Amino acid sequence: MKRFIEPDELARDSRFIRQSNALTTVLATLPDDVDAVVDVFEKFTPMIRDSVRGTPSQALYDEFGPAFSLALLNEPIRAGARGLKTRLKMRVHAIFVGELQALEGAGRSLWDFPDTPWDFKMNMARQCWDETRHVQIYEKLMDHVGASAGDYPESTFLFECACSDDPAMRVAGVNRGLEGLACDVFRDLIRYAEEIGDETMKQAVDYVLADELTHVRFGSEWVKAFTRDDPEHFKRTQDFRRQVDKQFSFGGSRSDRPDAPIRIAWEDRLEAGFSEEELRELAEISGDGPSPETLIEAARVLRERHLGEREGPKTRAAAAAKAMA
Amino acid sequence: MSETRLYPGASKDERTSFPPYSAFDVPADLRELHGRYDVETTARRVRNFRYAHEWLMMIQGGWLATIPEVPVKTGLGKIIWEDAQSADQFGRRLPELRCGRRSMNASEVSNQGFADFIQAVAEPERPDLSIEKLTGAFDVLKPHLLRVYDRMQRETDQIADAPTIEILDDVMRRLRRHLAWGEDVLERLCDTDGKRERRRRRALALREKLESCGGVTGEISDESLRIH
Repeated sequence: MKRFIEPDELARDSRFIRQSNALTTVLATLPDDVDAVVDVFEKFTPMIRDSVRGTPSQALYDEFGPAFSLALLNEPIRAGARGLKTRLKMRVHAIFVGELQALEGAGRSLWDFPDTPWDFKMNMARQCWDETRHVQIYEKLMDHVGASAGDYPESTFLFECACSDDPAMRVAGVNRGLEGLACDVFRDLIRYAEEIGDETMKQAVDYVLADELTHVRFGSEWVKAFTRDDPEHFKRTQDFRRQVDKQFSFGGSRSDRPDAPIRIAWEDRLEAGFSEEELRELAEISGDGPSPETLIEAARVLRERHLGEREGPKTRAAAAAKAMA
Repeated sequence: MSETRLYPGASKDERTSFPPYSAFDVPADLRELHGRYDVETTARRVRNFRYAHEWLMMIQGGWLATIPEVPVKTGLGKIIWEDAQSADQFGRRLPELRCGRRSMNASEVSNQGFADFIQAVAEPERPDLSIEKLTGAFDVLKPHLLRVYDRMQRETDQIADAPTIEILDDVMRRLRRHLAWGEDVLERLCDTDGKRERRRRRALALREKLESCGGVTGEISDESLRIH
């Protein structure tokens, strides 16, 4: 078995649909500009259309067009919000595949770095079991909200960004970048569960969040250990973590902006060992990118064009005129 | 008649009045001193066992990403942690066996043949090779370890080496659970004659390698290798 694998080598059964990471990568660097967002989505339309064909997402594509994820994901998950049921399913499914990739990342850290200290291997082995439980919990939560594995396309973006060939960067990417993102997403989900009085979801996600704090702590300790007496290595690791944090902000969707769909979970991150300085930096680097208004407007334009394409030239002209207005 | 023996500094009137225990009060200790392995041999074997579990943990960790079946991934996730705990427990025994304080991480392979066997177990990589992956770990290596541990538990000094016996007890309990899980999963994966044949041939090939190197300790040429 070779050391280090490519993200497209992550094995899935036939229920899952793989989506290219290119779209997510581009989204992470977009400016706050409706036309730029629209251009990117139009470029990726054939890929998005192919990846949803024959899945429950096809209905969303038919209704909203290629930017259905923008239309549905860029608002906080709150009771009574527009498209809540579908957005909740997509969110829980996205977390499920994220947990699968976190499990695979922890497992690969055991195989890819055979010469690391024993205590590191013990931490990674423990993380394998923890991530296993998270996958199992989110499988149950998918049932709970009416979703199933493979209902929505999976991008291996998280694995691709976080899994560096250097152990210090790997733990910076997986244990601080990815698990830090998990803290933000889970706190948001707990808030929603509290809002609607869903004790099952609240309790399960709270246990998962508690585990994630431990994993971030693993990351904080091992970044220090792997870069001890090597300031240059430490600096490169910090730069890598910043780059991962930027990518995992999905163009500001996860940030400290008041209008962000997913806010940074300051208290949880502090408890996990992030410093105030690191959090201020995270808020700064995640804050730029398209605002929710820009994304929603782009989604509206793309939907109009999509419906216009589908319904013929006459409708297309009307849609274009409507979009212009 | 000799003088009553007292602790230094104690006077005769400080002697306790408790009578000695009789054989009826406490069941007799039927264990006997002297086992098959001395301190050095036990330490070497423990290092060999640690090597096997450390590699099992790493190999299964590597496989998580290339096994497509989700329940197999999640099953292995817990088994990885349990193999890590087994390796850790063996390691913690080493300083107690005169190997030095820094010996806790000292895995040791018995010979090059066993190292080659471990690499052969790790070899399958493609997602369509779940049967070959699991057969190596769950049909060949883990059953072998269970037999070797069971035998060592019976043959080592039952009193002097009791801490090793306790560790083997924990490790064997986990191994039995792993074997039950592996058997269940392989039964389901091997649902055609062709797949059952793949499992049989893989097990046969690996078992030959294991036998030729003498197993985990490099010195087993008896019934403990014969699994089926």
